[in-house]
Amino acid sequence: MAQHQAQPLHFSGSGSEYFRLWIVNVCLSIATLGIYSAWAKVRRNQYFYRHTRLAGAGFDYHGDPKAILKGRLVAFALFAAYTAASSFAPTAAAFILILIVTLAPWLLVRSLRFRLHNTSYRGLRFAFRGRIGPAYLVFLLWPLLAGLSLGLLWPFAQQRMAAYTRNNSAYGGAEFRFSAGAGAYYGIYLMTLMLGVVLFAGLMVLTSVLGSNGWFAVEEGQLTAMSLLLAALGTYLGLLLFAYPYVTARLQNLVWGSTTLGGHRFVANLSAYQLLGLMLSNVVLVVLTLGLYKPFADIRLARYRIEHLQVLVEGSMDDFVAGLQAGASAAGDEMAEMFDFDIAL
Amino acid sequence: MRLAAVYYDGRNAKAHPVTLCLEGDKLLLQGKEIVRRDAISALEIQPPLGSTPRVVLFADGARCEVADNRGFAELFPGADSRVAVLENSWRWSGLALLLVLALAGAGYLWGLPYAAQRLAQRIPAELAASLDREVLADLDGKVFQTSRLSPDRRRGLEARVAELVLPDPAGRPGAIEFRFSAELGPNAFALPGGTVVVLDALVELAEDDQEIVAVLLHEMGHVAGRHALRQMLQASAVGLAMAWYIGDFSNMLAAAPALMLEARYSRDFERDADRFAAEALQANAIPPGRLADMLLKLETARQRGLDAKLGAGSDYLSSHPTSEERIQRLRSQ
Repeated sequence: MAQHQAQPLHFSGSGSEYFRLWIVNVCLSIATLGIYSAWAKVRRNQYFYRHTRLAGAGFDYHGDPKAILKGRLVAFALFAAYTAASSFAPTAAAFILILIVTLAPWLLVRSLRFRLHNTSYRGLRFAFRGRIGPAYLVFLLWPLLAGLSLGLLWPFAQQRMAAYTRNNSAYGGAEFRFSAGAGAYYGIYLMTLMLGVVLFAGLMVLTSVLGSNGWFAVEEGQLTAMSLLLAALGTYLGLLLFAYPYVTARLQNLVWGSTTLGGHRFVANLSAYQLLGLMLSNVVLVVLTLGLYKPFADIRLARYRIEHLQVLVEGSMDDFVAGLQAGASAAGDEMAEMFDFDIAL
Repeated sequence: MRLAAVYYDGRNAKAHPVTLCLEGDKLLLQGKEIVRRDAISALEIQPPLGSTPRVVLFADGARCEVADNRGFAELFPGADSRVAVLENSWRWSGLALLLVLALAGAGYLWGLPYAAQRLAQRIPAELAASLDREVLADLDGKVFQTSRLSPDRRRGLEARVAELVLPDPAGRPGAIEFRFSAELGPNAFALPGGTVVVLDALVELAEDDQEIVAVLLHEMGHVAGRHALRQMLQASAVGLAMAWYIGDFSNMLAAAPALMLEARYSRDFERDADRFAAEALQANAIPPGRLADMLLKLETARQRGLDAKLGAGSDYLSSHPTSEERIQRLRSQ
């Protein structure tokens, strides 16, 4: 077993610098009735990618704005057709909805391919080689089953999606592998459920004690009902606030912890509390500044997520770099047939 | 002039320290293991992006990064894109900020109401009517009970409304629904599809039918302008925009400011509805002052109810413009 050496990722973007980029993007997008938004997306991605640095080198983004514009026009046309039809011709709307749903996995594969092919590090491109057939199982069948099972199969569906996207991704000639099973996903959601139960029980005890000591007015014989109501409300609010950052942090840690690239591994150590604090303060500041804090919030969140990720490099850093080669097929035919289309908004 | 740079050949991840210099219309790149000369016209010189290194892409997939932004600008003058100039200057980006704020303000004040008005006109009557049925069915289970007024009284009022001369036929309500509500007190309101709901307490509070008709005409003013539908469209547009903009898990938090922002619209709508009512009242030989009298009574009743329930101080969120202003305008007509 070779020794692993931790290489942290760094993020060098700054809020005030990104603010100028962002406001110019917004202004030009409005002035061009949204057309510039495709160029804006490229500038924004390049800003975040180039400021993300690993072992002294930055990432880069190479997306063609015209391809992004094409994708956005298609997405907009589908959405507009659906919205218009849904008020005037429900049958046509249902047809368009079915069309969107059947096209979705194909479009997702196309945009995954676009995104990864257009990401580079040290002059080597990433790649996505997922086939369309399995994508229909992963992006259509499993979410459908998850919905039909009232969410019981959702962690399973999520695991299938992560496995499909990661196992079909490559950097240069090295392929990513994903090893987490559905059990780990269920574990995260079970923990969230447990948190809810513990919170509910704690609140129940607290309100009962406070109520019986006359801390809040309650009619005779109504104490249990009142405590139940307060505890349910508190649990609902608590989960609403805490579940999202908790699940996000745990999922990111799980996904990276189960990903390998050749002999190299990854570690993410996001903390749900820190993420909650970050997201909450971001929302408050964005609201208080009428939206102007948004670019600063984006930078803060990106920095937190990126700087809590490490690559565990197998062997020495020089071996790591020397072992990274372009894939045999990456430069030639695959690039030629690369579909220039990005639906991701 | 030689510029230090890092070169990647596109086949291997190894970073080669190199120097760059110009030789006529060619770029000379020199390092320990590498020398290449490329025509500048064949290179993709990427525009600057903040403080990130400058990037030159070669046709064969190789790339070169220069950390010294100033040196690079001297080596390749004129490679700055116009957008990069805007992004790098506080003055231009400040101007962009002012422009965006002005546009956003104008869009909110004029664009959104206009769009909602146009859209409301296009929504088919049956769709809006089915919406009313849903809203009523929902409210019937919660705050409404069947009206306790006698069927004769209800029919009489309906007949009285049907006889009214209206300045705009679009104001004729799709239906008038009578309901009793213990919580809501004396009130009447127009639903998105043009149904007008009258609560028993309002009928009881009125001194005579003229006062009831006055309030109903005010609500019919809302029907004529499709105010409820427009309000609904505006509120959902603002709510959607906020949820999309703030993103993440904050949909709930986004709803609150949307509600606050929407309070203002309804004041304009109230004035419109008052104007409609005043015209209609005059056309039917009822003094517009009767609406003012009724508003005063409603305000007093509402204030009493509010004081009892919440205490004072929630006036900021009230969707009714200060009644004094409305009452004075109505009395002066």
